[in-house]
Amino acid sequence: MFERLHASIIKEFQLLIKDKTGLTILFIMPVVLIFIMTMIQHEAYKSINETGIPVLLINDDQERLGNAVKSSFEQTPIIQVVEKTSADFSDKDQIRQSVLDGNYMVAVIVPKDATKILKHDIENIMGQFFDETELKPGDLKEIKVDLIVDPIARESFVMAISSGLKEAIANIKTQVMFQLMAENMKEALGTEQDMKIPEKDFFQFNEEYAISEGKGLVPNAVQHNVPAWAIFSIFFIVVPLAASIINERSEGLFIRLNTLPGSYLSILSGKLLIYIIMALIQFAIVIFIGKYLLPLLGLPILNLGPHKLPLVILCIAVSMTAIGYGLLLGTFFDTPAQSSIFGGISILILSALGGIWVPVSVMPPIMQSIAEFSPLNWALNGFYELFIKGGSWVNIQNNVLKLSLFFVVSLFGSFFIYKTKINFS
Amino acid sequence: MNPNSFISIQNLSKKYPNADVFALKELNLKIPEGQIFGFLGPNGAGKTTFFSLLSGLFKPSSGTISIFGLTLNENREQIKKIMGVVPQDIALYPTLSGKQNLMYIGRMYGLQGDTLNKRVNELLSFFDFQQNMDKKVINYSGGMKRKINLIAGLLHQPKVLLLDEPTAGMDVQSRIKMMQHLTNLSNKEKMTILYTSHYMEQAQIFCQRVAIIDQGRLLKSGPPDDLIKQENAKSLEDILLSLTLQNVNG
Repeated sequence: MFERLHASIIKEFQLLIKDKTGLTILFIMPVVLIFIMTMIQHEAYKSINETGIPVLLINDDQERLGNAVKSSFEQTPIIQVVEKTSADFSDKDQIRQSVLDGNYMVAVIVPKDATKILKHDIENIMGQFFDETELKPGDLKEIKVDLIVDPIARESFVMAISSGLKEAIANIKTQVMFQLMAENMKEALGTEQDMKIPEKDFFQFNEEYAISEGKGLVPNAVQHNVPAWAIFSIFFIVVPLAASIINERSEGLFIRLNTLPGSYLSILSGKLLIYIIMALIQFAIVIFIGKYLLPLLGLPILNLGPHKLPLVILCIAVSMTAIGYGLLLGTFFDTPAQSSIFGGISILILSALGGIWVPVSVMPPIMQSIAEFSPLNWALNGFYELFIKGGSWVNIQNNVLKLSLFFVVSLFGSFFIYKTKINFS
Repeated sequence: MNPNSFISIQNLSKKYPNADVFALKELNLKIPEGQIFGFLGPNGAGKTTFFSLLSGLFKPSSGTISIFGLTLNENREQIKKIMGVVPQDIALYPTLSGKQNLMYIGRMYGLQGDTLNKRVNELLSFFDFQQNMDKKVINYSGGMKRKINLIAGLLHQPKVLLLDEPTAGMDVQSRIKMMQHLTNLSNKEKMTILYTSHYMEQAQIFCQRVAIIDQGRLLKSGPPDDLIKQENAKSLEDILLSLTLQNVNG
């Protein structure tokens, strides 16, 4: 048995090193994907952080409200605010055109006398309270702040700008309200003492990542992308594996292999073993790239988290899952072309569902439920537990269990399909 | 007759799932050890089904096959070790070299190290193939592929060699050369060779015995010369034509 397994491993290795397309899929694709995707995302974040997103502030108010909005934008690191007035443009269309031309992602127009109107409105509200009167129509005037948004801007970014703006206006509104109330109370109480309203907010926000262990873990493009694209590429091992299984089922080889001593299982085991080893080598290469090559390009170093043994177990489980899926496709389909097309497309779908392209958390609820059935999602969650949340074996054991079960089900499924095909041939 | 000295086929029938007719029906044959036995018939006669049943690839619907006293159903693993199989299609990995293919198949038969190397080189030399052994199979000519396909079936010195149309698609010279090689091997290694073919003249020259089948039924069997005399025909081809035409008309 061992001799036959050994012979099959040598043969599979010889076949693999002569299969240039297979090798490209196995080794070049993950390397290229990880470099490209990590650099793109890292550079995107870096350029936003370094130069900022250009926001045009048309400050026609030039008083407290307009200045507060300006100050709020200036305090936001990713925003690069350019202050102008309507006098710098011929009309509103020219402002709109400037946004369309890509000069600014958003233009915010704070109208003339906005602060005066705000004060006027608050005075009227306070007045009806102190004078015990009713507000009449026309007592309150509207302040219309315009936001002109670049159509390509993400909705999340527009929401961030608009909520920042609302927060700045709310702050000013509160301050003006306090100030007027203080003046009214000073007059009512007949005191000379001024009420000092602190500019600084009472609330302080402290942000931290919910990491179990491993203080050095910082979520970044490398920690997110390296495992995600590694899983995606490693699952593409199903293409050469399925083709190899189908080719061995071709008329002549099928007869030869089935008339050799021992069962076909020893031949298949050699094949599966060598492909699992290949997948583990892929993981090793990917980790090497993350730790030693990406930093040479100015990217953060990949941090593997504090638990190495669970990482090894997870890598083995992911490799086995991919190999199991390849075996299933190789047994089910009759030609390499069928298995390649279906295999490639199904991995794209499973990866999209699994959160490789877009985080599962931003998907609609129905898609989130479907994502739970994607093996790539189990794999990705396992890596995120270890690489980002500092989790241990306890945190990944469910994912490993699901991946291992998928492998076992694939083996039984393939056996069933194989037997059915043999019986009906 | 000692049952350990012949291959016995008794009431062998095969009907494929969902098929209306039998691919092979109640076949009875005795093939003595050390002979070259030709299994002849037109396309679709049941030759490849017979080959698949004998190699243990498919199970018969009924009947038994016994090879030198070992019944195929109960002793499949033992029979695999004494049987060499050469399928009609080239049963090799096209991207590996001829030698790499032979080394793999040899290892699968349990041959190791020097024994394996010696046997591979011996056969490559016998078939005058040493110069091409390191080329990929995909780059071989049709005849070279047939040769290396045959060598792969001989590595473990089988007592029985099954060949399914071993000379199909080869030119006349290559066919004769291949059959001469097989005759020499049969004499040298005392090998029983069963081969299917639709080349009648070839079978007439090289086979000690032949069986003619059509539509899954055995029509005639015996030494070619005896059959020709019995049927008062000029050649095996005439016999085949008259028998199969009777089948078509009848």
